[in-house]
Amino acid sequence: MNTLAIINRSTPFKGQAGQESVDLVLAAATFGQQVSVFFVDDGVFQLLTQSPAEVEQKHFAKSFGAFEFYDVESIYVCQKSLSQRGLSKSDLIIETEIVDENRLNQLLSQHHNVLSLS
Amino acid sequence: MLKHLSERWGVFVLGGSNLATISIIVTSPALDSQGAYSALRFIQATIEKGHSVNGVFFYQAGVTVANGFQTVLSDELALYEKWQDLAQQHKIPLQVCVTAANRRGVISHEDAQQDKNRHDHNLVSPFQSVGIGELVAMLNESDKSIQF
Amino acid sequence: MEHFITFEQQQIPTDKAGYLLNVEDWQPELAPVLAATENIELDENRWEVVNFVREFYLEFNTSPAIRALVKAMANKYGPEKGNSRYLQRLFPKGPAKQATKIAGLPKPAKCL
Repeated sequence: MNTLAIINRSTPFKGQAGQESVDLVLAAATFGQQVSVFFVDDGVFQLLTQSPAEVEQKHFAKSFGAFEFYDVESIYVCQKSLSQRGLSKSDLIIETEIVDENRLNQLLSQHHNVLSLS
Repeated sequence: MLKHLSERWGVFVLGGSNLATISIIVTSPALDSQGAYSALRFIQATIEKGHSVNGVFFYQAGVTVANGFQTVLSDELALYEKWQDLAQQHKIPLQVCVTAANRRGVISHEDAQQDKNRHDHNLVSPFQSVGIGELVAMLNESDKSIQF
Repeated sequence: MEHFITFEQQQIPTDKAGYLLNVEDWQPELAPVLAATENIELDENRWEVVNFVREFYLEFNTSPAIRALVKAMANKYGPEKGNSRYLQRLFPKGPAKQATKIAGLPKPAKCL
């Protein structure tokens, strides 16, 4: 079985990217795929506290908390994307590994397949 | 980072001495971006170079490629028909995520039948309505994947 | 209202497959009514799963697929209950499908 990296790149409620990324991660993991999740660029905004009910959206970010039950335990956040947006680890709603650009590229190149959702 | 990936790809495709099996994932919309057309051209070029494509998986806005109700003026590119031809000519499975498709009004006959208010459907062969399991299977039977 | 179940003289909206449309419409007294539509009688073990699945959904906004249900149940109740054979015996047509319906949760996505 090979490995799949999912990269989240867009703000949480720009279209369906957030929800459909969660669907993809959970479904692929259910079928036994080894999945890692990356938050890059505006994707890091998905990891902030949200009040989606105000814009009548489903709170898909709550599903990040279920990743561990699907054996999705490799979750990485781009350090540069965070700092460019004035954010730090303490702003994030789940436990993640913060990685610099070199490490990010290294990790991505270790996966057989990379899918970017924006 | 994307530059890094595309460089790797450029080398891989143009080098072409080792033949590979490639999976294609389309997440960009049928008309409102270049992606779906690029995917089509990429697949044609890939096959011409002797590689094989073991499937195309349509996800996110990519599912709109499978909308059989697309109607264009006769002097414009008929993208939908190009995909039909490609699938027929090279026997490439065109798989569409059912959930992403239903969200965007792309509905198979089977799904339409479950809803008595729905009288028509627009997801037809060679496109197939499938689950994410098919994507996982496809990715595990190929050497490389590329997303458009 | 196109689809509904009747409970205490009230019509509660469902989707075409019989899943409640609104999570908040559920109450424990409704569970046996939903279970009957699946030909299931709720005993203590089934109640435990139904409640567990509902809590999982309320916390994570997604119903657990069987793999996740097994792991999460094993975490809380140990391997005797956190295994797919046990869960399958309680809900023969699929614990993810049937327990979510009885727990008043939306129908899980088709692509899962």
